[in-house]
Amino acid sequence: MIERQGRSTVLLQERISGRVLPLRHLSRWQPHSSPSLSWRGRYLALIVQRGDRRLAVIEDRLTNRLVPLPLPGGLEPVRLSLAPDGQRLALQLVAAGRWQVELFDLGGILEIDPPAGEVLRTPAVAPP
Amino acid sequence: MTPLERHDHDIAKAIRLVQLGLALMAVSLLGACVSTPMRPLAAINQQLEQSGGNRDPSLGGRWLALIRGRDGRERIELVDLDQNRPVPLPGLNRPDAQPLNVSVDAAGERMALIRQRDGRTELALYRRSRENLQPLPLEPPGVPRQVKLSADGRVLAVQVSRGGLWQVDLIELP
Repeated sequence: MIERQGRSTVLLQERISGRVLPLRHLSRWQPHSSPSLSWRGRYLALIVQRGDRRLAVIEDRLTNRLVPLPLPGGLEPVRLSLAPDGQRLALQLVAAGRWQVELFDLGGILEIDPPAGEVLRTPAVAPP
Repeated sequence: MTPLERHDHDIAKAIRLVQLGLALMAVSLLGACVSTPMRPLAAINQQLEQSGGNRDPSLGGRWLALIRGRDGRERIELVDLDQNRPVPLPGLNRPDAQPLNVSVDAAGERMALIRQRDGRTELALYRRSRENLQPLPLEPPGVPRQVKLSADGRVLAVQVSRGGLWQVDLIELP
């Protein structure tokens, strides 16, 4: 996170080259907090400010898609952690006046982001 | 068709094309920003809720590390999400130490943590298979606040306060 015009802003930087990578959707919804990356950096999950509410979102850098993840019951996230493969999300919330961690399945929302070097194959099909 | 009728026909066709273009643009914009309901993992959420207040979650594959409050004390726990139960962490939690932040790798083998003990805030690395907690000194010295371990457990990102400024240190681990 860096300060940009007085507001916390997420910065995505490639560790080896130092290159700053573009994030297309997030500049309108500052301040940002709690960034979390998937294995190969395809997904960046974070908490943004949308109006007077905090909202968990995921930017899919491969498809250039922003996925807002609203919570039921008007709950707001405080911190988050994305599983490396992008298939689960852990959120820290305030519920009934205390911290609470809840887990969510993202299997129907995001594709798997596998570790670098993992061989991907289509399922084997038996010959007719 | 008279020239006037042909002119009207062309204009109507152009309007339809513009309308189609606007509709496609709207669909495309909606597609770029879709609000999607998440499915809660009910069994583990129920277990977490019953066990008291929890904070600072860190997900690594089938592992969830967090700080759990119980009976006025906080301790670090590691939950195996496949088995839906916490695993033992011998040598990690101490009665005289207050955990502040934790992060786990995808194998559930390494955990990086920040804790306060004897009035000092320290960074440490826990290796589960060795049941060993190793302090990690910061150079130059600073006060760590948050830590993130890479999924492969090889690199540590630490948010550190030095001279009133936040800095992020990257530490490569053997």
